[in-house]
Amino acid sequence: MTPILAVRDLVKTYPAFRLDRVGFTLEEGRITGFLGRNGAGKTTTLHLLLGLLRPDGGEICFRGQSLRTHEREIKQRVGFVSAGLSFYRRKKLSAVTNVVRSFYDSWDDAVCRRCMDRFGLDAGKTAEQLSNGMKIKYQLALALSHGADLLILDEPTSGLDPVSREDLLELFLDLRDQGATILFSTHITSDLDKTADRILLLTDGHLRADCSLSELLAAYRLAEYEKSDPAAASPLLIGPRRTRTGLAALVRAEDAAALPLPTRAPTLDEIFVHLEKEEAPCSSNC
Amino acid sequence: MLVKLLKKELALALHPVVFLMLGLSALILIPNYPYAVSFFYVTLGLYFISLGGRENGDVLFTLTLPVARADAVTGRFLLAGLIEAASLLLAGGMIALRGLLLKAPNAAGMDANLFLLGEGLVCFGVFHLIFFPAYYRHPDRIGVPFLLSGIALFGLITADVALSYALPFWRDVLDTPDPAHLGAKLVALAVCAAFYVLASALALVRSRKRFAALDVR
Repeated sequence: MTPILAVRDLVKTYPAFRLDRVGFTLEEGRITGFLGRNGAGKTTTLHLLLGLLRPDGGEICFRGQSLRTHEREIKQRVGFVSAGLSFYRRKKLSAVTNVVRSFYDSWDDAVCRRCMDRFGLDAGKTAEQLSNGMKIKYQLALALSHGADLLILDEPTSGLDPVSREDLLELFLDLRDQGATILFSTHITSDLDKTADRILLLTDGHLRADCSLSELLAAYRLAEYEKSDPAAASPLLIGPRRTRTGLAALVRAEDAAALPLPTRAPTLDEIFVHLEKEEAPCSSNC
Repeated sequence: MLVKLLKKELALALHPVVFLMLGLSALILIPNYPYAVSFFYVTLGLYFISLGGRENGDVLFTLTLPVARADAVTGRFLLAGLIEAASLLLAGGMIALRGLLLKAPNAAGMDANLFLLGEGLVCFGVFHLIFFPAYYRHPDRIGVPFLLSGIALFGLITADVALSYALPFWRDVLDTPDPAHLGAKLVALAVCAAFYVLASALALVRSRKRFAALDVR
């Protein structure tokens, strides 16, 4: 089956940063977490997917159609939501909605009204009167009203209080259950623990992992040890970091038996921070 | 698509100060004033639209819509053209009104006559050529393009004042109250209109090319 989104060898070069041959595919009806520290290249990648940035190499295809040649058609089917975006802050939501509506062939006013009601959005308010969480929900309402098949969410939970974050995550799960495909960038691993079916891990412009959450969690073990331990210098240890009582490092699950240290299953957060520290060659799978 | 973009420009991008600037066509009623300055104020209104667009994330907003980049640029040009057409209509009305109220010629440049509208077209064409291609290279840096276009426009206005004294054809044919030398003024107006169309087309092509390659963040 043709993936909803296929990205091949995507390259974008800046003087101090290079997104280096990033490639992945998205399957329909899944939430894919796009994980990486600040500056790893997540937003750059998402902006390339939306045609906001021009790639130096590679190809982006939506349902087999190239973004280069079918940008307008593809944008009819894609919704973009970002915590950092706020357009025409002093215009009423109704005015902005009226403009956005006119550009989409499959805009559904009934869906728009339902979303506005469900999210508690008042069309008479302006964007500057909305909280960060409500701004995200408004962008989601717009995306859902034009029947977006793919929702690209750029750090949507950044800056939200825990309750608002939880509300949004539940909403993402509801949308997934209704068939939406979501690509969700974040550096908050707990959000992905709760929602993601699949993880893309980006480290300094390189795609470090592309696998299901359960595969990623099963691919590593965490060893906790003291600095004086004879195994502390083992090359099998990945990204050692200090802990309150000593050191901790990842080890590949298949290497765990060869390491004379006790290990346990790591959390996604632990995998993320230890892989971030490791300067090992990148791979596109777990 | 262009109609949708123009509606978007009118609903969201149009800055209220544009109406004030259009109202300044009433400067044509002032005796002994360089009337072409009223066209500069219209370009100031267009600058405010770009300034407001920057503050409101207009470029990013537009590009998240299913819109081709080239069309987004054309939409802005259409808005500019619409405002400029309104300005010329208002100026035409003021010229007619001034003709009824004040018969004295203008000592500070072009008389309030048909050719003044041609000067407006030249001002707008020059503004398009300088401002928009620079704006679409860096939509966040709009001060310098406007400064450069402002310098060019005031150069034109100064030249007009000087020519109205120094050049016999300018002084004795173009810078006269209507309906004197109406045929010559109409030809000159047509030449100015042709310049406006060519300059705007060139500015549009350059702007679209630059915007197509722009990384929007």
